[in-house]
Order: sequence, then C-alpha cells, then structure tokens
Amino acid sequence: MTFTKMGFAGNNDPSFIQPTVIATRDGGSAGSGAPSVPSKPSFLNSSASSNLASKRGIEDLDFYIGDEAVANSKTYALNYPIRHGQIDNWDHMERYWEQSIFKYLRCEPEDHSFLLTEPPLNPPENRENTAEIMFESFNVQGLYIAVQAVLALAASWTSSKVNEQTLTGTVIDSGDGVTHVIPVAEGYVIGSSIKSVPIAGRDLTSFVQNLLRERGENMIPAEDSLTVAQRIKEQYSYVCPDIVKEFKKYDQEGDKYFKKYEGVHSVTGKPYSVDVGFERFLAPEIFFNPEIASSDYLTPLPEVVDTVVQTSPIDVRRGLYKNIVLSGGSTMFENFGKRLQRDIKRIADTRIKRSEVLSGGKMHATPMEVNVISHKKQRYAVWFGGSLLASTGDFHSYCHTKAEYDEVGPSIARHNRVFGTVG
Amino acid sequence: MILLDYHNRIIEDTLKTRFNPENKPKPVDMSIVDFDGVSYHLSTLDDNDAKLNLSIRWKCWNELVQYGALDVLKREYSRWIIDPEHGYDFTLQFDLNDIGGDPEDVIRRVSLLKRNAMAAPFERAFDAQSLAEQEDHWDPSSSQLMTIHYRDGEAIYVQNQQDRVTVIFSTLFKEETDRVFAKVFLQEFVDARKKPHLQNAPQVIYSHREPPLEIRHVPGLLDSESQGYITFVLFPRNYAAGAVREETISRIQIFRDYLHYHIKCSKAYMHSRMRARVSDFLKVLNRAKPEIQASEKKLASGRTFRRA
Amino acid sequence: MSNTLRPYLNAVRQTLTAAMCLENFSSQVAERHNKPEVEVRASKEVLLNPVVISRNDKERVLIETSVNSLRVSIAIKQADEIERILAHKFTRFLTQRAESFVILRRKPIEGYDISFLITNAHTEQMYKHKLVDFIIQFMEEVDKEISEMKLSLNARARIVSESYLSQT
Repeated sequence: MTFTKMGFAGNNDPSFIQPTVIATRDGGSAGSGAPSVPSKPSFLNSSASSNLASKRGIEDLDFYIGDEAVANSKTYALNYPIRHGQIDNWDHMERYWEQSIFKYLRCEPEDHSFLLTEPPLNPPENRENTAEIMFESFNVQGLYIAVQAVLALAASWTSSKVNEQTLTGTVIDSGDGVTHVIPVAEGYVIGSSIKSVPIAGRDLTSFVQNLLRERGENMIPAEDSLTVAQRIKEQYSYVCPDIVKEFKKYDQEGDKYFKKYEGVHSVTGKPYSVDVGFERFLAPEIFFNPEIASSDYLTPLPEVVDTVVQTSPIDVRRGLYKNIVLSGGSTMFENFGKRLQRDIKRIADTRIKRSEVLSGGKMHATPMEVNVISHKKQRYAVWFGGSLLASTGDFHSYCHTKAEYDEVGPSIARHNRVFGTVG
Repeated sequence: MILLDYHNRIIEDTLKTRFNPENKPKPVDMSIVDFDGVSYHLSTLDDNDAKLNLSIRWKCWNELVQYGALDVLKREYSRWIIDPEHGYDFTLQFDLNDIGGDPEDVIRRVSLLKRNAMAAPFERAFDAQSLAEQEDHWDPSSSQLMTIHYRDGEAIYVQNQQDRVTVIFSTLFKEETDRVFAKVFLQEFVDARKKPHLQNAPQVIYSHREPPLEIRHVPGLLDSESQGYITFVLFPRNYAAGAVREETISRIQIFRDYLHYHIKCSKAYMHSRMRARVSDFLKVLNRAKPEIQASEKKLASGRTFRRA
Repeated sequence: MSNTLRPYLNAVRQTLTAAMCLENFSSQVAERHNKPEVEVRASKEVLLNPVVISRNDKERVLIETSVNSLRVSIAIKQADEIERILAHKFTRFLTQRAESFVILRRKPIEGYDISFLITNAHTEQMYKHKLVDFIIQFMEEVDKEISEMKLSLNARARIVSESYLSQT
C-alpha cells in the first residue's frame, strides 16, 4: 500500500498521510500490470442525457481518495494510480490531486506553488504530463518536481551526526513494497547504479504472520492476522547484532524479552493475548539474512549497498560511504542503522585489506569512513526534505512558473534545477 | 464531491487527536491555510504541551470586525478567546486537560472558525432587512454597503434593501479558458430559477467586466477583461431564522471557491475525455501498420529460425 | 449543414489518396541529406500546387504535396467562444503527444488548427488507404468530440448551479 504524504512547506510533519488509492463508481482498472489502454469511459458511448435527477454528467466527481476510499470499498471500485512509484493512470491521478487540493488541503491552487516528488528513473514524459495537469487544470503558480532520494538527503541534514549539508550520499529508501538503494552525487541520481531489493515492510509483516501461525497462535482471528502481525512488527521489532547470541538471551532471560500483545476480536469484542517472541528480532533480520524467509532472493542489504557504491564512479565512492541516509517506515527499526553501518564497514574494510595484501603491503589506503545516518524525520524523510526545501527563500525561483508554461509548454518540466545547500 | 466542505479538515483532525484523552499531550507547531488566503497557526505553548493555541490571520479581518465579527466570535467561542498571537488577528486557547464542552461539539465549532468569522456581515444585513421591512417610510440611504476585500483583486459586497439582501461577488478569471467556462456555468445559475423546483431560489445576475449598479460608485474597482461580477438576490425565505439561515451563510461564503473549483474540475474532466480520444486515435492509426509476421525461415542445412 | 459533410469529406479523401504518392528523394540542396521537401520548400520543381478544400469559410483543409512528403492542415469548426477554447485545448493536447502520433506536426500551419506531416517513410511502413481513413476519421471525430465536450460542459453547469441553489 503506497502512501501519499501531503502538507504545507515549513511544517515538520505532513498534514495528511493517506493510501494512494481512489475509489470510483465505474469498474476498476485492469490491475494485472499489463500496460493497459485506459478503458473507454461510458460518456463516450452514451448520448448526452438531460435527466439531471440522476446527476448524470458529473459522475467523474463521485469518488473518494485515501482512507475514505478504503472505507467505501464495498460500493466503489478501488484503483491504485501509482505503480512502482510511477504514475500509471493519469485520469485517476488528476482526480486524486483534485480532491487532495480542494477537500483535504483546502487551498486555491492559483495562490500557491507546489512541490511534487518523483521516483528515480521517472521518464521525462511523466513530468510533462504532471505539468500539463498542474498548470492547465489547476492554474498553479509554480511547480517543482523533486527526486525523492535527493529530498531524503536534505532531510538528513537535521541529524546531529551531520556537520555539512551535502547532496552526495547513498539513500536507502524502504517502504511497504520495495526497498531502493540510490546513489546521489551533487544532487544528481546515478541512475545506472540504482539497485532494488525485493524486501520491504510487506514482506516483514507476512514473515511475522507466518511465524505466529507456525507457533500456533490461534487466538488471532483469521481476518485480523495480517493487521495484528503488522502491529506486532511495528511495536516490538528491533535489529539485533547477532541472532545466535540473541536466541541465547531469550532462553536465559525470557521474562525480559518475551512480550504480550493484547488484542480485541473485531467482531465479538472479546479480548485475547498473543505471545511475542523471536519474531521480534527475526523479522528485521531478513534484510541482513534473506535466506531465513525465502530462497528466492539471497543478497543481504549491506552487500547491496556496497555493490551500489562500487558500481558508481570512483571519485564519488568515499562520499557515498560517508553519507548513507535512511528513509521510509521500514528503516525505523531500533538499531537498524547501527547494524547496517557495522556490516557495510566490515565489507569495505575487508576489501581494503585484500587490496593491501595483493599489493604486497606496498599500498596503504586511508580507512574508509562508513556512516549510516539515522534521524528523527526518517519515516517521512522525503516529505520532510520537501518541506525544508520548499520553505527556503529562493524556492520560488527554482519553480517553473505559469508564465513559463504558457510561453513554452510542458517541456519546461523536464528539467528541475538542483538546489544548492540550505541557508 | 460537488459541494465544498464548510469546515477545515486539518483543524478537525488535529483537534480530534489532541482532545482524545488516550493521547498524551505532545508539542504541536503547524502552519496551515484555508481558502481565500486564510492562514492558521496551531501550536502548543513552549512550556506547556497541554495548552493548544489556534490563531487565524485574514487580510479582511478589520473589515469583518467593523461589521460585528467579534460579537459573533464571542457568541461561539467566548470561553477560549485570548489576546491574538503576534502576527495573527485572533487566537483561541484550549486546555487539553479541561476542554470546556462536549469535545465533538467544540471540534465542530472550531473547525468552522473561518465560516463564523465571516458570518457577521450577513447576519447584520439579514437583521437590518427584517427591521426595514417593518418601517412604513424606509430610507434606502440608511442601508450600509458592507465591503469585504477577502482576496487580492476580489471582494464581497453585502447590502440590504427593504425587502431583500443583495450579495455581490467580484471575481477574477486569470485565464481566458476559465472566463469562458465561467460564462457557461453562470448562465445556468442565472437560468436556474426558471425550473419549477428552484422557483424560490435566490436570483442570480452575472455581468462581465461591468460592475452592477449597486457598487458602481465604489472607488478602486478594477476594470479588466478578466473581471466578473455575480449578484445574488436573497429573499427573506432564503435566510429564514434557524437552520436555513445558518446554511445560507455557510453556503454563500464559499461561492467563489465553489465556482472556481468546478471550473477546474471541468478542465480535469476534459483532460480525461481527451486522453480517451487520443488512445482511440492511436488504435486506429496502429491499424494502418501491417501485421508483422513472426516468420519461420529455413536454412539450407534444414535448421529453422524465427525472424524477430 | 450535414448535407455538405459527406461531399466535403469525400473531396478530401480523394485528394489525399491522389496526393499520397510519395517516394524517397534525397535533398538536392544539401549533399547526403534527406528532408521532407514540403517543409523545406527549397526546390520549386519538387513541390506540387497546394489545394484547399473548403466546406465553408471556417472549415477547410489545405493539402500541400511534394515528391517525398505531404502536409495536411485542418481548420476545425469553431462556431462560438466555447468551441474555440475547446478546439484550442484539444489540439494543444494532441500536439503535446505528437511523438506517439508519428504523423502529427507539433505546430499547425499558420491559419489552421492542426497539421499532419506524412513522409515517404510513413507510407512505406503503413498502408496508404488506412492513413487516408485515419485522417478522414480524425476530422469527423474532432468535430464530434468538441460538440460532445460542449454539451457535457452545459450539463455540468446545470448540475453545479442546481446543486448550489437548491435549499431544503
């Protein structure tokens, strides 16, 4: 479930965090992932009826977004306009934005500039389509389309660990569906080195769900098992330094480590309780030892990060190791950053030692500084970075303006200038 | 969504969360906006997370105060009013440990802060009209033309006559497309009364560029192609005391935003039609290309291969 | 009005069919270059006389041909302000997507609303009679779409005004 975070620049948190879903009256879109030609809307076939009692002619406004969409899922069809981070259905996206602006944020778009984000490797045509909608339908004053990874880097500047504001670093963005490792040099994403890891929040949740089921926690009602697993994961999970030692700790000091989750049956209202044990540290361990969950994918995250850096141009590599930034809900586990830093440093140090040995002891490299930056704004780091950048004095000079759009056209949105450092 | 909400969602959501006794007080500091250039600031005190301030700032505040806004606000929020925060026009303070009312009712009323702030001129005009109606020789010049410059280049004018209240909106259409679409919409507003079920609806008059008689004397009126004036003539039955009046006050205020919202939704709708047409055209065009046969070819040695 | 539509479209169809005889022709001006001559207009002898087919003074089609390329420009019916705005929006939307249309020109010829550029490369890849079919169908559909958009706008306006003015 991808989420949309929307709010006002200068604030610490988004005002709304809603699933990126739109509930419409007509049939849902072809969800199979095939690049579908949008189904012909009914108005193209029907004759213009003047039977206004049935409000025909304005059905396109009969829709819900976000949580309200989910709440109405029994009578409306759910559609997910964004696939793999990219906008896939423009009709739905346009309407999603329409309601976001007029119902939730409540602002007249003519009075404001907007900052939107895009995933890495987003085709320029998508930026043009976005600009077409923002300027032509909504008459926005200004538009800036930022790369998510760059915003995540900007968000990390709030960490006490950071003493210089740089736009060079490796961003590990882990949400619900997928985890990306994205190297950024001077504000530009090194597209060819981006790697995706098919382990994210969703997979951790289902791993917890399986562990609970295998252990025989049958107090959990079947229809709630995924939600309960998710809550247990979010409340009790953490990353340990060594699973063998951790198992021993649980054996020896069970009382300290085993927890109880108290739930209420959603239908009967009866309370029940669930033991929470090894899944506490086993779930996030999947990032570091994927083989414990499945045999499809076996590369540990620290290794992926190291590969990403090694495939990047040689002159940026130190900068990429020095500034590894976390973003997204699935990076929030306690000690996630520490463990990642330790494991990545081990790989980097091993490589340096090996090259020293191979050179016959003649070459000594400066030790590689590896830093994983954790900070308070990690969960919504991308939104927060956007809020930071959009509240700077010269933000408006970076935006594409309506006047430019009217003069030149949507192609202005293809390139969005990279911000210098804040302040 | 056809009608815009009257209340502010973010205020509603934030208060719901903060008023919930299950949630511990925590620091809050957010700046948000509403339609028509309204700014709000929601914040807890530096030294006390349990005291929550809500401040509002609106360019036309002084005008609203002139027309009696403070009386209306006292009526709705007296318990929570404190001196305005620096940089803002009006501030309410809530004690999260002692809200001072049924939380749901408080939340509802507070999220209507903007609506209530602008209610005064309308209430005043409605009351003045009821009084005027009683008089045998009512002097038209005694009626006050209330002007509210609530947006840059746009204003609302409210005035009562002996038997009706007139509300005039001056609005700007930044784009020619918007102006042309608006004409179509406003013509329907004007014609709506002809329908049997809308006989009692307010009368609507639209004029492009030329200000209506009632405000022609007002100084500083913009004379431009992009200017439009929409007059609503409200009759006593349209603002009968009670629920009808409250609804009318809420609904008349959002007219400008409602109109511009629907103009934009229409443009979005046109986009979706055009997208469908484009894909249709492309389908036809693709039929012009001959089908590429996945042909199997044979080599001299007897092996076959497929040509991609 | 519609009794002039069929003859109009037929005239366009026949002219297009005749005009769409394109062959590869290298530039006579620049060595080793191959450009659509109808655009370049440098050598008079490879250009044919342009033809204008008018349904009335507002709706007409300009067909310019050369040895290796053909330009079709269409002036769309725009009876009032709204149709003018809708036609402008529609053609802008289409030309924004000119790349996927292949034969669409990004800018219309002066005096017309939308232009197509068909070269010998296109006629080699696509059936000529189907290309002609496409253009004729396009002309019909554009008019239809603009009328429908106008009707839908009126319907919306009706509902928007009624929803606002009705009081319980």
